[in-house]
Amino acid sequence: MELTLQAVGAELGGRWVLDGIDATPPAGAVTGLLGPNGAGKTTLLRIIAGIMAPQSGTVLVSGLDEAAAGQPTPPVPLTALPRRQRARRITLLEQESACAASFLAREVVALGRVPHRTWWGSDSDEGAVERALDAVGASHLAGRPWASLSGGERQRIHIARALAQEPKLLLLDEPTNHLDISAQLSVLAFVKALGITTVAALHDLNLAAQFCDHVLVLSQGRLTAAGSPAQVFTPQLISQVYGIDAAVLTHPETGRPVIAVGGPAPLPAPLLELQP
Amino acid sequence: MATTLTGQGRPGPAATQAKPPKPATPRRAALPLILAAGLALLLVTLAVTVTIGPANLALTEVLRSVAGHLGLPVQPVETIPDAIVWDLRLPRVLTAAAVGAGLGLAGAVMQTLTRNPLADPYLLGLSSGASLGAAAVLLLGWAVLLPLAAFAGAVAALIVTLALARGAGGSLTPTRVILAGLVVSQLAAAATSFVVFWTAKGDSYQEILAWIMGSLAGVTWTSVGLAAGALAVIGGLVLAYAGRLDAFAFGDTAALALGVEPNRTRWLLLTAVALLTGALVAVSGAIGFVGLLVPHAVAQLTGPSHRRLLPVAALAGAILLVWADTIARTLFAPRELPVGVVTALVGAPVFALLLRRARGGAWN
Repeated sequence: MELTLQAVGAELGGRWVLDGIDATPPAGAVTGLLGPNGAGKTTLLRIIAGIMAPQSGTVLVSGLDEAAAGQPTPPVPLTALPRRQRARRITLLEQESACAASFLAREVVALGRVPHRTWWGSDSDEGAVERALDAVGASHLAGRPWASLSGGERQRIHIARALAQEPKLLLLDEPTNHLDISAQLSVLAFVKALGITTVAALHDLNLAAQFCDHVLVLSQGRLTAAGSPAQVFTPQLISQVYGIDAAVLTHPETGRPVIAVGGPAPLPAPLLELQP
Repeated sequence: MATTLTGQGRPGPAATQAKPPKPATPRRAALPLILAAGLALLLVTLAVTVTIGPANLALTEVLRSVAGHLGLPVQPVETIPDAIVWDLRLPRVLTAAAVGAGLGLAGAVMQTLTRNPLADPYLLGLSSGASLGAAAVLLLGWAVLLPLAAFAGAVAALIVTLALARGAGGSLTPTRVILAGLVVSQLAAAATSFVVFWTAKGDSYQEILAWIMGSLAGVTWTSVGLAAGALAVIGGLVLAYAGRLDAFAFGDTAALALGVEPNRTRWLLLTAVALLTGALVAVSGAIGFVGLLVPHAVAQLTGPSHRRLLPVAALAGAILLVWADTIARTLFAPRELPVGVVTALVGAPVFALLLRRARGGAWN
């Protein structure tokens, strides 16, 4: 699926949290969305998901339709599509999602089928839930109560829910949050292997450098850099965006950038104020 | 876990061969089975409870009376037992069933839409609004207008609550709904108390008290028609939305991502179940605990998926209220206990049990 952002801007509470974002995340690849807290990552994901309408600019999508997959279709504004049709093709996994009801893992995955059900509740594809559980290797968790799952298991079930939605565009807000390092790696490797156009907000520069084909760096609501991790992750950019000193090395096996933080530079400004 | 998640290429069935999944233990009973059992239990409940009362009737008499009125060729029943069955007890158990079903359904929907396990059908100030309307006409001596006044009071409360709860851009968020309902509920309750304090004398106290605590005394076939009609129309609408209600489980953003507009759905369904509740309150007064308890108890059996939960909650509410009302009218016969007292006396301990059972579960 092709995704194009044109001059996207968003205002929240009288402040422009996103301003003039132009970007084209590559189709079928994983795009990392990076930037400090409050840079506008979550807002941008919500706009791409069609959950929030941008105050300015447009999000264009093409190739959403199954039938027209083979031939190029003219891009259409996301907001022109009916909500249910969007939900059948675009899925967003939120950062925090608490749930009070006593669901079993399988029932959480089945929520992904909501946009595919007819109004009387029949589903065009009864096997989708089991396939999604299978795909994330969580079939053995299917009958477990949601409350009894660990953070990593919940994240896997959430990803299975997203897959059950059969998305052409996968939007992930901090998918590695609260996960141990091995779970972080396996979640990202799994998402990458899906071959679905993916945009993932990430905090960890090294994870982004290792797994993303393309990265977008946001800073104070503006797009500061875009390109491959090797192009984008430079000591200058990291210092400019995060206000920290970092050395960028090259991974001996993958050849991808490795960011080593720390060095002779002064402490970040906010912490300096705390010094006696 | 890494072996399966990092499987090469597009994951499919092959990706799981490394670790064959254990067959999941299905803890949920099949829906048709639950529905069939519930329906059978409801029919038995209706048949049996009609026989219970000061004048003891045999089950065969009851069945013959009903069959006779339905025009079936059976040996006719004597006039008095026939009148007891057809004019007194049958409308009463049927009204109890319809009211109980409606309360169970409305409670489940309210709890989902507000994401609050404490929500009940009266959340929007409906019972207090209805009580105010009812108290006003009872004290004016216009008892014939009672159902109408109660319904008008409930609708007025609903309108004020929704107007108060309406947030920026027409949004309707759970917290605002709960707080607005609380305000309207307290105000209407205070106004009712004031009206009663100012004007009630002797018997009218008892009458108002019985009504406020919920009572099915004196219901007629008209009551059956009102309660069952409201249940059929609004219950049908709500069931059609069952799949979309599931999307609320992880919050409004998740609902949007699943293609369900939470605000629009909330406006529509809150209004619908409030009108249903208003009709039920008009028939029976505000009967507590059924709408709060039944959805929680039923979810233990069906799980939280609404296509399973809603029909079973309706059946369970019906069965519960028919039995509660049977106890209410027979325990101290000829005196009637308000049925709300029975549902609270039974409901509170059951709720306490559920709370203890669910220690490690969803209510933490």
